[in-house]
Amino acid sequence: MTIIYRAIALFILVFVFRCMFREKDFWKQVTATMVVIPLILRILLIK
Amino acid sequence: MLSFNKGTRTSAAFLLAFALVLAAFTGKNFLEMRRPDRVVPAPGFTSHMLSEWFPNISGTPVDTPVFIQDSGVPGGSVLIMGGTHPNEPAATMTAVIFLERATVSRGKLFVIPFANMSAFGHNSPQEASPQRMHFTLPDGSVRSFRYGSRATNPVHQWPNPDIYIHEASGQQLSGSEMANLNRAHPGVEDGPLTQRLAKGLLELLLREEIDLAFDLHEASPEYPVVNAIVAHENSMMLAAMVTMELEAQGVLIRLEPSPKNLRGLTHREWGDATSTMPILMETGNPSQGRLRGRTDEHLVMTGEDKFYAKAAQLGRLFIPYVNDQPMDLRVARHTESILTFLETLEFLDPEIAITVEGVPSYGEILEEGVGAFLSPVPDQ
Repeated sequence: MTIIYRAIALFILVFVFRCMFREKDFWKQVTATMVVIPLILRILLIK
Repeated sequence: MLSFNKGTRTSAAFLLAFALVLAAFTGKNFLEMRRPDRVVPAPGFTSHMLSEWFPNISGTPVDTPVFIQDSGVPGGSVLIMGGTHPNEPAATMTAVIFLERATVSRGKLFVIPFANMSAFGHNSPQEASPQRMHFTLPDGSVRSFRYGSRATNPVHQWPNPDIYIHEASGQQLSGSEMANLNRAHPGVEDGPLTQRLAKGLLELLLREEIDLAFDLHEASPEYPVVNAIVAHENSMMLAAMVTMELEAQGVLIRLEPSPKNLRGLTHREWGDATSTMPILMETGNPSQGRLRGRTDEHLVMTGEDKFYAKAAQLGRLFIPYVNDQPMDLRVARHTESILTFLETLEFLDPEIAITVEGVPSYGEILEEGVGAFLSPVPDQ
């Protein structure tokens, strides 16, 4: 079950990356940055 | 060129790099919480792991050290356990004081300072808890201990169900209680990690024929069961004698019977499943209360909080709170209570008496502080 959870989190992370690079508003990119950090910690099972 | 209005691929790359740096920094910080605290057992203690009694937890994050000092003189067997809930730090520190100071001249003493080792490795979300607390020793060195969470780390046990059903009784509780060690007793042999940990503790009690077992806790000052002893029917007579003795010494403490229909707790399950006399004790800890303001190490160590002072003025608390509730007082209460239990045990049944020396008294801890009774950590 954990591997499915991590796969979902990775899938979302990739989408956030994609949105970050397509986004034209700098502050929305900053918002995406804040989303990225906990997702990374989740995928690595740190937090 | 970075612009603070227009987002570009370059700005995204910069921000992504920044996020990776922050993730690395915070990740390192979180992972350091999983490193066990070092302890310095007093001479005579031998070190074991709980998995020696219950191999099902071997190699898992809940396997925890068990320290034993056997005097070699016939007497009782007593277990002192702290760290069921790592956000109740006076419980852990009391067990550490016994581990680092006790000399047993009759009977056998078991100490488990960090009962739920997994829960020490993280903080509860949205509580703003500090990660560590620090104690200064007489030689000027500083030792730190982790301030963890009430629950097993979700990285180790996940997910929680919507409703947690206690297997032995069928009792239904909130799903998050599945990760609470003190709702998991008597444990489940092949259950989730927390339930297996509870089973391991039960195996220790059964195989070592523990006569008296302490599970140390802290509670919010606004919670009625605080500055209290909770006793099973097996231990009620002993607990009543101790309560009177403590009151005579000026240590005011409540005595509560273990509710028969509240399942999963040590004071109920250990007494029902074994011949041990289980005792659960609570002190008042403002840093885990709902009324608290700023939550930091200062609050953990001193209990100073203006909101609790106001609540006390309004008569809403169940402890005598003036301006603080320091760690020294809370550890002194637990320590003195345990020492009184050990002294009183002899009057109840001389065959299971145990003699423990070297542990500081209530007055000594209040006067000199907890740090004065910790041993310096030798260089590795």
